[in-house]
Formats: sequence, C-alpha cells, structure tokens
Amino acid sequence: MKQLYLSIPLLCGMIMLPWLVQGQTPSDGIMMQKNQYCVVMLYEKSSFDQYWEGTLLRENATIETVHRHMVNGGLAIGFADWFNLLVNLPYVSTYSIQPNGGHFAGASGIQDLSIYLKAAIKDFEMESGTISILGTVGFSTPASDYLSDYRPYSLGFGANELSLRTILEYNNNKNWYLRGSLAYLFRGETKAERDYYYNNGSYYSFWMDVPNAWNYQAVAGAWLFDGSLQLEAQYTGIKSVSGDDIRPYNAAQPTNRVNNNTIGLFAHYHFPKPVGLGVVAYTSQTIAGRNSGKSFQIGGGLTYYFNL
Amino acid sequence: MKNNHWVIYFPAFALLTILLFSACDREIPIQADYTDYLYSSMDENGGNWVPVLLTSADEITIPVPEGVQSAGYQNELAEIRQLTQNLNGAQREAIGYWSNNPLLRWSEIALELVAKYNLIPGPNADGTYPLPNPADPSAIPNYPFAHPPYAVRALAYLSVAEFDGLISAWHYKYLYNRPAPGISDPQIIQAYIDNGLPSYPADGAVIAAAARDILTVMFPLEKDYLAEKAEEQMSSLKWAGVNVESDITAGAQIGEAIATIALARAKTDGMSKAQCPKTVSDSIKAAAVARFGWHWDNLEVPVRPVGLCPLFGQVKLWNVPTVEEVRPPLPPSPGSLEVEEDMDLLNYYADNMTTEWRATANFWQDGLGTYTPPGHWNRFAKEYTIKYKLNPIRTARLFAYLNMAMMDAGISCWDTKYYYHYPRPINLMPDYQTIAGTPNFPSYTSGHSVFSAAGAEILTYVFPEEGNLFRNWALEAAVSRVYGGIHWSFDAILGTEEGIACANYSLEVARVDGAD
Repeated sequence: MKQLYLSIPLLCGMIMLPWLVQGQTPSDGIMMQKNQYCVVMLYEKSSFDQYWEGTLLRENATIETVHRHMVNGGLAIGFADWFNLLVNLPYVSTYSIQPNGGHFAGASGIQDLSIYLKAAIKDFEMESGTISILGTVGFSTPASDYLSDYRPYSLGFGANELSLRTILEYNNNKNWYLRGSLAYLFRGETKAERDYYYNNGSYYSFWMDVPNAWNYQAVAGAWLFDGSLQLEAQYTGIKSVSGDDIRPYNAAQPTNRVNNNTIGLFAHYHFPKPVGLGVVAYTSQTIAGRNSGKSFQIGGGLTYYFNL
Repeated sequence: MKNNHWVIYFPAFALLTILLFSACDREIPIQADYTDYLYSSMDENGGNWVPVLLTSADEITIPVPEGVQSAGYQNELAEIRQLTQNLNGAQREAIGYWSNNPLLRWSEIALELVAKYNLIPGPNADGTYPLPNPADPSAIPNYPFAHPPYAVRALAYLSVAEFDGLISAWHYKYLYNRPAPGISDPQIIQAYIDNGLPSYPADGAVIAAAARDILTVMFPLEKDYLAEKAEEQMSSLKWAGVNVESDITAGAQIGEAIATIALARAKTDGMSKAQCPKTVSDSIKAAAVARFGWHWDNLEVPVRPVGLCPLFGQVKLWNVPTVEEVRPPLPPSPGSLEVEEDMDLLNYYADNMTTEWRATANFWQDGLGTYTPPGHWNRFAKEYTIKYKLNPIRTARLFAYLNMAMMDAGISCWDTKYYYHYPRPINLMPDYQTIAGTPNFPSYTSGHSVFSAAGAEILTYVFPEEGNLFRNWALEAAVSRVYGGIHWSFDAILGTEEGIACANYSLEVARVDGAD
C-alpha cells in the first residue's frame, strides 16, 4: 500500500528564501487518505552574501552575509481521500554576521500562519502510469506583529496571501514521476510603521502594496528501496507581476518586484519501524533573481503520520 | 471517489475567495486629497509685507495691464471663453489637481524629488566612494544626493522665492485691481470657487515659474519634467478661467525674476564647499580631539572617508546671526556617569524593544530614500494649510518661515556636530546593534530633534490652536532617535532646545513682517 505509506503531503517546496519569503507551498502530488494525520517539524537555514539590486547582482558590506533560521511546525489532516487540510506555523530569526557596516539588529519571531485546502480533482489511468490533477487553495496571514518594512531582516512580507495552485503529476508504474505546478499568489497590503514611502513616486500611507506573483515548479522524482526513499530534483520560480526595484545601495522594501529561480534536491526517507516516522532533508540554491538574495539553503526534519 | 463534484466546487470556492480577498485592497494615496477652497482671509495688504530677499514689493516691475475694455484684453477673454467651453478630460483633471493653491502641489513635487534623490552613494569596487558631480549630474551616482541639509536648503530657496514672488504679486494685484475674467465676461465660468482675488498678475504663474526655476537648479536632471509641470500648471489657469494670457505672462515674469535673485544667493551661500575634502575633514576631527579628547568615526564597511557635509555649519544663515550664539553647551564626556547611564538606557530600549517604541523610531526615521525630516514638516505644513484654508500668500509665508527656520536649525546643528565631533552609540558600545541606520555624521546634536523643534515652533506660531500637537510631535521625533539606538538622550534634549532657539530668530522677523 504505497500510497498510504508515502503520504507526506506537506514538504515539497517548503522553501523560505530571504527577501523572497514565499511561504510554504504544498505543491506535491500526494493526497493523504481519510483519517490520516501527519505532523512535521523542520529546521532550515539559509544565507546570502550577494543579492540582486534590480537586476544587478551585488555585494553590500552594510549587511555583509545575512542569515536566516527557521523552525517550522506543520500538520496535515486527511478529511477524505480527495480532500486534505494543511496547516503551518514557522518561527524565523535573521541576522547579519559580524563585522558588518550597518550594525543593524536582526529580527525573530513567529511568522505567518498558513492554511491550505488540497483536493484531488481528476485522475487519468493509463497503461504506463497515472496522470493526476490536483488543486490547492491557500491562505496565509501574519501571526505576530513583525515588521515587514525592515528588509533584509524582516521575517516575512507581512500581508495576507491567497494562493491558487494547480498541480499536474505523471506517476510512472516504474516508480518515477514528473510534476509541474503553477500557482497565482494574491497578496494584500502590508502595514509599515511610516506613512510616507517612495515607490517610483510618493505614497502617503502606512500601507504598502505587496506585488502579486506567479509561483511555478517543475520536479522529477523517484521512489527507491521499495518506496521507502523519495528523491526529487526541483526547479522552482517566483515572478512578481508588479513592483519597483531596489534603488542603488538602498534598502529593499515590501513593494519590490521580487523574482527568483532556485534549483534544489529533496529526500524523504521512511523508517520501516516505527511505522509512520520519516526523516527529510533538502537543499537549494538561488540561481537567478531580481530584488532577491542569492541564497543557499539547507533544511531537514522529522515527519510522523498516523491514522485515527 | 467524489472527484467529479470537486471539478465544479473547488474552482467555484476558489473564485469566491478571490473576490472576497481582492475587495480588501484599498487605493493608496499619492498626494493630498483637496480641491479648490474659499480662503480664510484675503490679505489685501499682502503687498506691504516685508519680503525676505527683495528690498520692496515693487523691486520687480511688470507692465501696466491693459484696461478691461481694451481690444487686447477682449481678445484674451475670447481665448479664455473658447478654452473654458471646450475642456477635455485631461484639462479638467489638471484643473482639479492644481487647485487654487498650487504651491501645495509644488511642495509635493519637491518632496518627491527629495525622496527620489535621497540615495547615499555606494562604494566603488576598490573601496573608494564616488561623489555626485554637479558639473555632470547624470554620472553615477546621480547629482544631487538629497540628504537632509541638501533637502532643507532646496526647500528654503523654493519657499522664499514663492513668498517674495507672491508679495510682489499681491502688491500689483491690489494696485491694478484687474477683475477675474468671469467678472468682465459672464460667459466665462470659473472652475474654482471665487475668492474675489484681482487677477493681474497671476499668482499661480508666479508659483509655477519660481518653483520650476528653483527646483531645476536643485534637481538638474528633472529639468524637462519640471518644465512640463509648470507649463501644465500655467495652462490650467486659463482652463480654469481664472487668468488671461497677460496675467500669466506678468506672473511668470515675477516668478522668474525672484527665482534668479534667490538662486544668486544660493550660488554663494557656501553649500558648494560643505562636502569638503578629506584633508579638511581630518583637520576638523583633529581639532575636536585637541579640544575635547574624543571624536566620531564612520564605521561603515568600507569606511566612508568624509562625513556628510562637514562645512554645512558655515553655510549662510537666514535669520540666526551666527552659529556660535545658538551652539549648545559641551556634552558629557564618554566615560562619565551620565554617558554610562545613557548606555544603560540604550541597552534597555534595545533589549526590551516594544512595538510602540519601534513604531515611533520608524515613523520619524525619514531616512535614506524618503523626504527627510524637513520634508516631513513640510508635509505637515501642507496638511494644516488645507485644514485652515490659508490663501496662497499666507501659505507661502508659512513655508518660507518654516524652511528658513529649519535650514538655520540644520546649519546650527551641523556646526554643533562637527565642532564637538561626538561619537555615536555604536562608536562607544562595540557590540551594540540598532534598528535604525546610523548616519554618516557625528552624534551631538540630533538633526531630527533640531529640525523638528524648529519646524514645530513655526507651525505653532501659524496655527496656535495646534501647538501642543506640533510640539509633542517634535519631542516624539527627538526621542525616536534614542529608541532607534543611534542617538544619546542628550543629543535629543539639547537638540530640541537648539531647534527652538534657532526658530525664535525667524519668529522675531516674522512677527514684524506686517502679516500679523
């Protein structure tokens, strides 16, 4: 019963990029079955010492190397074989290594609470395998009073986000799969602590518009060792549909047009005993971007699923 | 499997959620929301007020206007009649935008340019720092770097030129008493509420020409943009039916003349020498070490070799006689009990940072990329001008005294900063980290405190009912720098006193200028 054994729906694409802060994206093609539950605890760290100021890749000794650590707790519930609920709450801390020219304090705290509804929409059985169409609707909202207008140390972009995602997955009978997903992220406004800012012109308000964005992912993966090890190579991108560029040698702000592309590897191993326990590890590197850090990221953690 | 149902329900649910979500987005304002209004006074004797740069209101001369029955004037009226009866959408929008107090729009334009150019040059690859070059403004980094001293000076020249220009205009308006076009020709319907202001010369054209010419020198790369704005504003006076061509020509003549006079003062006021070379900067530092035994250092990486405008303290003052008489007393020595206690205070704020302190630090930060603290107080001046419905000449007077007082305060503050050369908190506390950016100049006194106290005093003089509010804001701006971790408490306290002392010199002049 491979499907039950491997149902860990919460992990793929859980990439938190500094300055990007795209949040958790349940973009995998796996559904949990009815009455199945899953808890996840992850630790992740990332850092960058170069970033794109607009399209210019640069260094900046004012912030030197910016580090970001995250502890993320998640829960997934199978209400039905075709309908899952996923919940996520990360704790984030950020800082620059010493010495640096800016002497800025980092930030830490609870970031955003995310809730996703995930549905299996349609399966197409074929001789070589199965094509599945899935969809998610997600909502995330800041879960503390962190300041989004404090780049690059802010914990997140500080606005509500509604995401709509479609996932298309081909599962070959020989235990490999290909997956693509495309999401549109509707992002609201974030409240700064100043009521004037420049965004290619004056804005007289505490509110900053966080650009909406497309989020896309292409994955090739395989189930190895009788399905106990899942391996994936991932290509992930985010592309804002509006926003301004970081100005020369100036701080970033939530109104920026943030784009980036990352490549990553992901592995998830399920222990034979105790049943339900798994360990996960992943890494990624930003390879292109705009108004984004060129981050290297590594993370890992434990997963445990059970039936009630 | 119930998959088939989900093909319908899931997208429907998603769409509904989007609709609910997008309804929450609001329009974010990019300018003050005001329209033409009835002035709270007319100041018919405004032509007798004492100007700042002009020796008298009639120092600038304009032609005697043609009579209302003259063929020339009748032709001008015909043009206005034709224009006002055939307005297109863009022209109506321009009328609404510029309003009958266009100085406020020029203030917004000026602040936007400050924010656009308030970018500190970054280091070159070899660790040196480039400087903007006024002789080649489009070179990288662009000229100017509109930091607070640059900004307050640009705003002061802008406002003084507008004020003197309107004193001259008011003089001729009530000398010649040419009625508004709508009075001579009832077929002309004026777009703005009628204040009964004589129309020759056009006060709006004085503002347009003066603002264009001053700001073009202050922000040379914006020459075309400013010319376009001024042309639209002058045209809008015709579209609105408030001025004829000869009104506008005469107004523009005054605006250009007073801008020339103001810019001549600017050219020789010492600002071009304020960003001195490293040798001079080093000798200023050495003098402080010899006098006091301490000095401030830039801690950026790579080190910025010269602080911001070490000689801004020598720029020509408006109303304060000399910097020496407003220079605050010696600050407590590093290592003294008072400074130790301040370190404890700063550490306490940093370790127990509340949302409220953080919000105060950020609200008043007005740092790089923004309109700066003087810009913030200009914004308040605009908002209260609208609230109290000031007429154009009284508006110009407010902005002139506000920006003269703040520029004097800034000059005094910079004199204090480089005279005492006092270290910043990060200089004396090696592991200390801040939530605000530490600026590239000495600590004592706080520029925010000095600018804000001076600004609040002028606003309180003009709007006494709001005085408590303004003065509390100034205190908040001052303490915000301590919450931000970049100033000592005595920087803020003595800076506030310094700002008040500087503003008092401007108030002495204002009280006898004939407007009260």
